Amino acid sequence: MLGSIITPDLFAAALRMATPLALAAIGGTICERSGVVNIALEGIMLTGAFFGTVVALATGNPWLGVIAAMVSGVIVSAIHAFASINLRADQVVSGTAINILALGVTGFMMERLYGHPGTTDPSAMLRPVFKFAMADGGFLGTIWNWINGIFLSHTPIVYMAIIIAIVAQWAMYKTRWGLHLRALGEHPRAVDTVGVNVFRGRWVAVLISGALAGLAGANLTLEQVGSFTENMTNGRGFIALAANIFGRWTPVGSYLASLLFGFADALQIKLQIFRGQIDIPPQFFLMLPYVLTVVVLAGVVGRAVAPAAIGKPYEKE
Amino acid sequence: MSESRETLPAHRAWMTVAQKVGTPIASVILAIGIGSVIMWASGYDPVAAFAALFKGSFGGPKQIGDTLLRSTPLILTGLSVAYGFRAGLFNIGAEGQLFMGGLVVAWLGVALTGLPWVVMVPLLVVAAMLAGAAWAFVPAILKARIGAHEVITTMMFTYIGRYIVSWLVVGPLKAPGQIPQTDALPIGSQLPRIQTLFSEATLEALPFLKLGRAHLGIVVAVIAALVVWFILKYTTLGYENRAVGFNPWASETGGISVQWTTVKALCISGALAGLAGAVEVMGVHHRIFDQFSSGFGFTGIAVALLAKNHPLGVIPAAILFGALSAGAGTMQLEAHVPQKIILIIQALVIFLVAAEEIVTWFIKRRQKEALSHVG
Repeated sequence: MLGSIITPDLFAAALRMATPLALAAIGGTICERSGVVNIALEGIMLTGAFFGTVVALATGNPWLGVIAAMVSGVIVSAIHAFASINLRADQVVSGTAINILALGVTGFMMERLYGHPGTTDPSAMLRPVFKFAMADGGFLGTIWNWINGIFLSHTPIVYMAIIIAIVAQWAMYKTRWGLHLRALGEHPRAVDTVGVNVFRGRWVAVLISGALAGLAGANLTLEQVGSFTENMTNGRGFIALAANIFGRWTPVGSYLASLLFGFADALQIKLQIFRGQIDIPPQFFLMLPYVLTVVVLAGVVGRAVAPAAIGKPYEKE
Repeated sequence: MSESRETLPAHRAWMTVAQKVGTPIASVILAIGIGSVIMWASGYDPVAAFAALFKGSFGGPKQIGDTLLRSTPLILTGLSVAYGFRAGLFNIGAEGQLFMGGLVVAWLGVALTGLPWVVMVPLLVVAAMLAGAAWAFVPAILKARIGAHEVITTMMFTYIGRYIVSWLVVGPLKAPGQIPQTDALPIGSQLPRIQTLFSEATLEALPFLKLGRAHLGIVVAVIAALVVWFILKYTTLGYENRAVGFNPWASETGGISVQWTTVKALCISGALAGLAGAVEVMGVHHRIFDQFSSGFGFTGIAVALLAKNHPLGVIPAAILFGALSAGAGTMQLEAHVPQKIILIIQALVIFLVAAEEIVTWFIKRRQKEALSHVG
């Protein structure tokens, strides 16, 4: 039984499931490092997922869908940026409004465009980047099949997420931009004093998080599912926030934490195959990622330190 | 001289009420305006839409009954969220606590069949509140002890709670038959419809009492609002709750335990959401199933914010959102506008209340215009 659970496609599925979480979590990391809480990741991801499908359906080109997803993510996050940076609204409340708005807008437009609620028609999807043949037999052949199965079987955004994690980590710790970003979330007054525009810095961070959460949505519809269903993000934006905390507000940490959640998700899907043999209701598997999120938060939060100025609107003197 | 002295305080008091109520009302008007523009831009007729919506929510006693029916759980979830906000806590997971409250009622209400109504109903109400409080307890402890953000944890518990319900209604608590739902509550565990309390003759004489599906839960909800108002205004419990929400550091210095207050606040918030689940099961569905709540826990956030977290303000705010939700069906049927527009308006209201500056700017501009006309 164990042999049929631990297979290359379990780990491949973990990477796949981790991707939307990781992209949103990295977005959350960048946003929160600048001092703005982004509860809206859930709604931005949903919006990206929707507009990705709409454009892919209309044009037949999934890449245009990806662009639409990111652009819509940026637009939605601009609302959050305006409310929480310029209008000094409560950032958590503004994020909640966006989550509800995203549910409303995607549901409303779905009925307007396609005349029915629920799920859209299947759209064109992004194909796996590589296509290598499986080796037959032998020790080396088995190793190749594992590598091929786990790492070389994926669609483009899965690889993009890994690259984005590394680039964001580098940018955050090795560039001027990263230094300013981190300072914005710790001591915005100091950044202001040295002549950096706090509002602009935070705006850029929020918009980047919007683009990444939008890309996460594109991964869901254009790589994983192939169509849009209302409320299909199912709390992933909140799990991504937890991954960001578990990853201690670092991009690579967020990616690795997402990998843990992705693995839990892959495992729960895999275990459902054994529903006939083990008498555990499927709902218990489905709740696993959410339980894990609480457990992880309970175990780690006390030791993870949030940026000092997080959630506090900045007022110019 | 003496005359103006007497009228001044009353005038002042009136002014502050007007100021407090002014922004929320302006927010609602602005949100409906933006919603209309969205409808119009999408090719729908906003005037026809709102006319149909009004007809479906206030067009007659039956429609008013439907509005009350939907407002009932919203008053309670609104109170739930507001009570948390007053302690500086954001209980985004009222939906999950509502599910647990409803679940316990659907289970005990059947299991304890035979108990007299006067015993059963209070028992179920208390059980549902305990269930809701229990569902908020882990997030509360995590928040108090290690600072785990309640937005994430209560949200996660909402998903967990919903999966537990969806398991129980196909598994151990499933009623015989094809539909995944629990057994119907016996009459002795139900909250009766308001119109059943009056005789046929009275209803004929006073037709406005034919409130259709509206049930006694509305009385429970209003009483809850009064109790929460009293607690917040006149008790030590409420004082500590407000103090911690206002300034936790000063409260701690002043001898209030912030941790303990946090736990109490989230659990009371959970209890109120659990009560919402109870009235929904006892008054409307008489059983629980997967989709028994149409997001009342989440709409409660909008209710609380619109009410500026005032427990009595929650009642009109809940009636507004209850009316929107009750009329949405008629709107879709007659003006063909997708019901989801209601969610958009709800989000806009939250935005406008949260980003008060937009609305105050708007009001000020109007006042300036008015003044310039006078001048």
